[in-house]
Amino acid sequence: MRYPEHVSAGGNAPPADDLTNPFAKDSASIADGSQIFTRMNCDGCHGAGATGWVGPSLVDGRWRYGGSDGSLFQSIFYGRPRGMPAYGGVMSAGAIWRVVSYIRAQPVPSTVPTERWEPPQRP
Amino acid sequence: MHRAYVTLLFVTALQGTSPQDDGQWTMPAKNYAATRYSGLSQITPTNAAKLRPVWNFSTGVLGGHEGQPLVVGSTMYVVTPFPNVLYAFDLTQQGYPLRWKYRPDVNPAAVGVACCDAINRGAVYADGKIIYNLLDGHTVAVDAQTGREIWKTQIGDIGEGETTPMAPFVARNRVIVGPSGGEFGIYGWVKGLDLATGKILWTAHNMGPDSLMLAQSGRGAFGGAANIGVSTWSGDAWKRGGAPVWGWISYDPQLDLIYFGTGNPGPYNTEQRPGENKWTNSVLARRPANGTLVWAYQFTPHDSWDYDANAEMILADFVVGGRMRKVLVHFDKNGFAYTLDRATGEVLVAEPFANVTWAKGINRTTGLPILDTTKTTGVSKGNVKGICPSLEGGKSPASPAAYSPRTGWFYTATNNLCMNFEASQVTRIPGTPYIGASTPYMAGPGGNMGEFIAWDAARGRKVWGIKEKYPVWSGSVVTAGGVVFYGTLDGWFKAADARTGKPLWKFKVGSGVVGAPISFRGADGKQYIAVYAGIGGDWFLLSGDVRSDDPADVRPPADFAPDLARHTSQGGTVWIFGL
Ligand code: HEC
Repeated sequence: MRYPEHVSAGGNAPPADDLTNPFAKDSASIADGSQIFTRMNCDGCHGAGATGWVGPSLVDGRWRYGGSDGSLFQSIFYGRPRGMPAYGGVMSAGAIWRVVSYIRAQPVPSTVPTERWEPPQRP
Repeated sequence: MHRAYVTLLFVTALQGTSPQDDGQWTMPAKNYAATRYSGLSQITPTNAAKLRPVWNFSTGVLGGHEGQPLVVGSTMYVVTPFPNVLYAFDLTQQGYPLRWKYRPDVNPAAVGVACCDAINRGAVYADGKIIYNLLDGHTVAVDAQTGREIWKTQIGDIGEGETTPMAPFVARNRVIVGPSGGEFGIYGWVKGLDLATGKILWTAHNMGPDSLMLAQSGRGAFGGAANIGVSTWSGDAWKRGGAPVWGWISYDPQLDLIYFGTGNPGPYNTEQRPGENKWTNSVLARRPANGTLVWAYQFTPHDSWDYDANAEMILADFVVGGRMRKVLVHFDKNGFAYTLDRATGEVLVAEPFANVTWAKGINRTTGLPILDTTKTTGVSKGNVKGICPSLEGGKSPASPAAYSPRTGWFYTATNNLCMNFEASQVTRIPGTPYIGASTPYMAGPGGNMGEFIAWDAARGRKVWGIKEKYPVWSGSVVTAGGVVFYGTLDGWFKAADARTGKPLWKFKVGSGVVGAPISFRGADGKQYIAVYAGIGGDWFLLSGDVRSDDPADVRPPADFAPDLARHTSQGGTVWIFGL
């Protein structure tokens, strides 16, 4: 679930995981990350451009397991139970961080919340 | 009670031509011949307009509801998509309450490995057991009376990309099963399990050395040379060459042969697997008792387009070219409908039933397609445009056809889609996709993306067709009453006159139909039609915006079908209709 939106027992949030991406918005890393996304066959499950296929969309601005750098790293390194393979055994931390940079650099489409088939009508 | 079912099973006739239908539906495709023909005749073209829903039930599951229920005696059995719940409904009581439900322990990791939604294609009844596959590579047998698990056998390995949504088949006390995973670089196989214990008695691969294929070399149509499963590949590419078995199986007891189709070679990029890639995209005829390969025929050698041959092989006997023949009829993803001699694999008829651009025809002497070489794909070919059918197939193997011995015609859903195909180099990482292609779709000529057709397989021509706006992705059932049933992706369930194609009736079932209807006789002696609603399978992926249960997964619509979600969302319901 979206970690920041968890209910904290007693109102006390646990200490946040403080993994930070060493590459962040570096454009060369983003370009590398895009290639790694294809090379590691992520696109086969999340679709080209990561818009969702068997795995969920990674570009809709919504996250099952959190959209922070650290959460994305953990999703990729350790996998997730409903079909996300753990890549920690075949990818270096550096490669994973580059993919995180790539995912976080994708624009979130503005039309996501409402899909409309008829022209707007006045009440 | 349950002993009576067993004896009833033995009277299931090969062709469905027996004068009496027992009113049950005990195997996926109704009978060994896979005709999906029901001998029931109360519902006719004259009264079909009076059909009404008599019952429905939410399965509580949202994935693509492919396949069909079973009716054994007075119980209806329903298997859901992952997590593969098995429901047993008591058809003798008002409201059809459950006798029991069985909740298997299925590994959710399988959901990511299933290429195209976490679907299931149904169960088979034999020897007092309901037998079906769990998505995560297991086959289970459950006591049909009590719902108690009798045996559970691991048949596949999700770590290698194998999932198991197909419906098992039983012949000669063997439970025949196969895996999905053509998009994961699996080493395709079929297995024969002991019906009583679930023990794996034989495993036959679809490529590789004869010893692993259980092949008799020197036999078979169109080139049964020794070790053809190695020599038609380069190096050891056969070890990750795909050839999954996720479709339907049929059986001829006289010839003692089971028939099934194999899926695509992996990866999609042809240049990583030079050669004909036998026996991918093929029909294989094997002995059920020990798996021996007797003959095989490859529909699409060295596949360039993901034209899996997993569609059903329907067995029928009719006159072709002036001679009575024992045939099998197959509507391939590649757009051709084949009528083969089922003893030898000889091609008798091969004509397009959909719009085809990749080949100009099939040479009946060699069995080889006559290619349009401008449509073959591979990394060095760049983006190849205007390939028809798309890789959804001229017809999907997920939507099995029906055959009526009364009209002599076959009834099938078809797709009218084309694609562009841009291949790329890909590395196999076990447990992840092994594809290497980008393949956007567009509607074919005419703009209607689907059509439901009647087909004359003796002559290789369409008899009639009902055009549909969206691809038609449901199975069909045809009845002795002369009515044929199918469903649409935008959520209609329809009846048509089997002889004329005249639409007779339709009902909006709440979600797109990707299942296969059945017909059965109820405890009250009346004829009923049952079908699943529940869009999914490829359409879970393709029409991305039909999902509403996950706030963290919001997808754009498919560019070629942007308004499908206006008419349907995911949902799983079992429907029963009657007069
Ligand atoms: C075999 C299919 C498959 C492959 C390959 C795959 N994923 Fe996933 N991925 C999934 C599935 C399915 C989920 C959802 C898991 C869940 O909900 O438990 C997921 C979840 C995720 C998430 C969490 C999304 C969220 O909403 O919190 C991220 C991030 C992710 N994947 C990134 C990647 C990256 C990067 C790669 C390649 C290195 C990759 N995936 C490869 C199937 C796959």
